[in-house]
Amino acid sequence: MRIAMNSARRAFLSRSAAGLIGALLLAGCAPQSYLVLLENPGGGNGKVLVTGASGRQAGVERAGDALALNADGPRPLVVDADQVQRDFGAALAAQPPLPESFLLYFEGGERLTAESLARLPDILAAIARRPAADVSIIGHTDTMGNASANEGLGLARAEAVRKLLESEGAKPLEMNATSHGERNPLIPTPDETQEPRNRRVEVTVR
Amino acid sequence: MLAFGLAAHAEDNARIGYVKTLSGDANIVSGETSSAARVGSPLKLGDRIITGANASLGLILKDNTVLSLGPDTEISVDDYLYAPAREALRLDARILRGTLHYISGVIARLKPDAVTVRTPTGTIGVRGTRFVVKVAD
Repeated sequence: MRIAMNSARRAFLSRSAAGLIGALLLAGCAPQSYLVLLENPGGGNGKVLVTGASGRQAGVERAGDALALNADGPRPLVVDADQVQRDFGAALAAQPPLPESFLLYFEGGERLTAESLARLPDILAAIARRPAADVSIIGHTDTMGNASANEGLGLARAEAVRKLLESEGAKPLEMNATSHGERNPLIPTPDETQEPRNRRVEVTVR
Repeated sequence: MLAFGLAAHAEDNARIGYVKTLSGDANIVSGETSSAARVGSPLKLGDRIITGANASLGLILKDNTVLSLGPDTEISVDDYLYAPAREALRLDARILRGTLHYISGVIARLKPDAVTVRTPTGTIGVRGTRFVVKVAD
């Protein structure tokens, strides 16, 4: 009985040592496959949830936290910043400039407010800064008038901005004008409501 | 049925993003065709992007999702729907090997459970965030 216990104890210790060495290897050297949550460009962070082939799940929700992506599923992992830089320096450095969005407002019809007209040079500069910019232009209206007329008005506004940018020499890879009509107000209002902040075009430069 | 087939086909061939940065050699494999990637190369649904030994590449998808790849990396974008007006939102990308840096775009913001990044050993569910992932050979 005593001998059996000793042998069980030895087996336990030996398993623990193997586990400890395994943990040290993961912490000290590059693990095979892993993921690290990073802070968002605007600050703060979201979270990720990894589901392994076996159905095993693990998540991370703090920037800097990591998961080993093992064949038998994800496991919590500690990785130092130097390791992250060694493994991901090239991928991080290849990040393109983040997309920029601009909101332009209208007097009514397709005429931009003076303030918004004055923002065009900023948009042109954002396009020129990027070696391969593509641009999307989405037109919106307030809820005055019927919905289908507003689809058309939103598109006319987006097209007007596209022509203005083209006439100022913008040459992105692609410049798409589309309309959300009155369906996507910045400020929710009842139907048939004048709202200058909803008479807008959103320009995104990627 | 025919109309549906045509619509699906048109969507398959649509440009879903562009290559924005490139260092070294990378290829875009589209169906049976492989071509050298350039800054400005369009990306289509199902395309596979492969970077060489000392290469890196950055791209932006239509919904402002930013993906950048380190050397010896292979990824594909297997499902992509970006039509907020129809509430059709889906991004499913895959990393087969190498290193990937991911920054969420509009799809993740509007519909958090619509974004997945698959690795050989699991599926990463993305809840509006930025992360890096490495897949060893």
